[in-house]
Amino acid sequence: MAVAMELDQLILNIAGIMIRELKLEDVTPETFDPDLDLVDEVGVDSMDLATVALVLRDQYRVRIDEDDYPKLKTLRLISQYIHGKLAAGA
Amino acid sequence: MAEWTFAALTAEPEVRARWERVRRYFFLRESTYDMTRRCNIRCEGCYYFEGDKQHAAEHGDPDAWRALMRAERDRGITYVVLAGAEPSLVPELLRVCHEEMPLGAIASNGIMHIPRAVGYRIHVSVWGNDETSARIRGARHMLARQIENYKGDSRAVFVYTFTPHNIDEAGDVVATLAREDCKVTFNMFSAPVGYSGRLRHTPESLARTRRTMTELLARHPDHVLFSPYNAVAHTHRLGLHDLFGCSYPRRNPSTDLGLGRSFRQYRTDLEWDRDAACCVPDTDCPDCRHYAAGSAVVTARLFRHATDPDTFRSWLDYVDTYLAVWVVDYTKGRNLCERMTAPPGFGLD
Ligand code: SF4
Repeated sequence: MAVAMELDQLILNIAGIMIRELKLEDVTPETFDPDLDLVDEVGVDSMDLATVALVLRDQYRVRIDEDDYPKLKTLRLISQYIHGKLAAGA
Repeated sequence: MAEWTFAALTAEPEVRARWERVRRYFFLRESTYDMTRRCNIRCEGCYYFEGDKQHAAEHGDPDAWRALMRAERDRGITYVVLAGAEPSLVPELLRVCHEEMPLGAIASNGIMHIPRAVGYRIHVSVWGNDETSARIRGARHMLARQIENYKGDSRAVFVYTFTPHNIDEAGDVVATLAREDCKVTFNMFSAPVGYSGRLRHTPESLARTRRTMTELLARHPDHVLFSPYNAVAHTHRLGLHDLFGCSYPRRNPSTDLGLGRSFRQYRTDLEWDRDAACCVPDTDCPDCRHYAAGSAVVTARLFRHATDPDTFRSWLDYVDTYLAVWVVDYTKGRNLCERMTAPPGFGLD
């Protein structure tokens, strides 16, 4: 199911997870700009990212390596990362 | 792939409640500041008087400090640690910092009382009983003076630093502090770079310290802010960097997020140096078991601890302890994991 998911849909789903877990205000999955810099423009830091990583691990059964955190600068990059792992596991 | 999902780890109401409580503090972003070059005592093994930082010029202008605090706020810092050499000697600067940045802690030897208007946590350093303090700190009646200054002061936490030579004294000192209703937590002496003196821990002293910490935690649960996992993490044969990977810039090359991005250690001239930046600069990293280092280093490793109930509960206990030690008005909860748990990927010793 998840493997076949389109990237655009995955972005929406992960946006929803981030909004819920990080209690982001004034944004919906549809209005969340996937290219915003999560640290500089959204205010996400490493503990937030670790929290999101744990929820994504539950949801998609995909592990985000701690060493990869610095690369995951935007919602789109996170989604591409998960998408790639799902595809590789397919 | 871990067997336990995060949802399963946080399913129990007690664990869920603790997780929700501690995560409210994930907004804390710290930096540290040396306030003055002066100290009213001189302790053997003191971190401040190692390395270059002691030679930085002193910048005592309150307006400069106010401007620095505002600039720090602008770059996202929400928590300040004021240290080196003895901050109680510059109360005016402490007041200015507190006005601009309401959350923080001061590391003090506790000989002089810090005015109430400075609403930071105050960490009062204790290095043994009065006889030991007189010998290695050159100050007499330390504990009595510290208690007189901070008894009944909700800002204060007494920090007992274990060296190989004061382990047996800890029982009496902690009993005295508990009798006076003072809160106490534990630190480990961590050798400065190049230090080969008698205060450096040995495997035997680490094991003995762990036993003593555990006994004192059981004996004074209302006054000792600590957990079994704190004892494991700080008395392990391996230091914090080897166990968890230090997140301070001195050991962490990443400038993208976390402490590697935000943390600075300012010297008294208000300059900072990325290559030297950590909570206790000039400490020998392989020997680093310092409580302040652990507060950030262990706490940052949420992901690694979300593997099984005991490890996750131990991590929550550690974070709960850290918040109780560093945040005024945060009250420590009951420890969720009473047994010793090994750091992820390592054994217990
Ligand atoms: S002394 Fe400790 S906190 Fe500082 S960089 Fe080394 S391991 Fe990290």
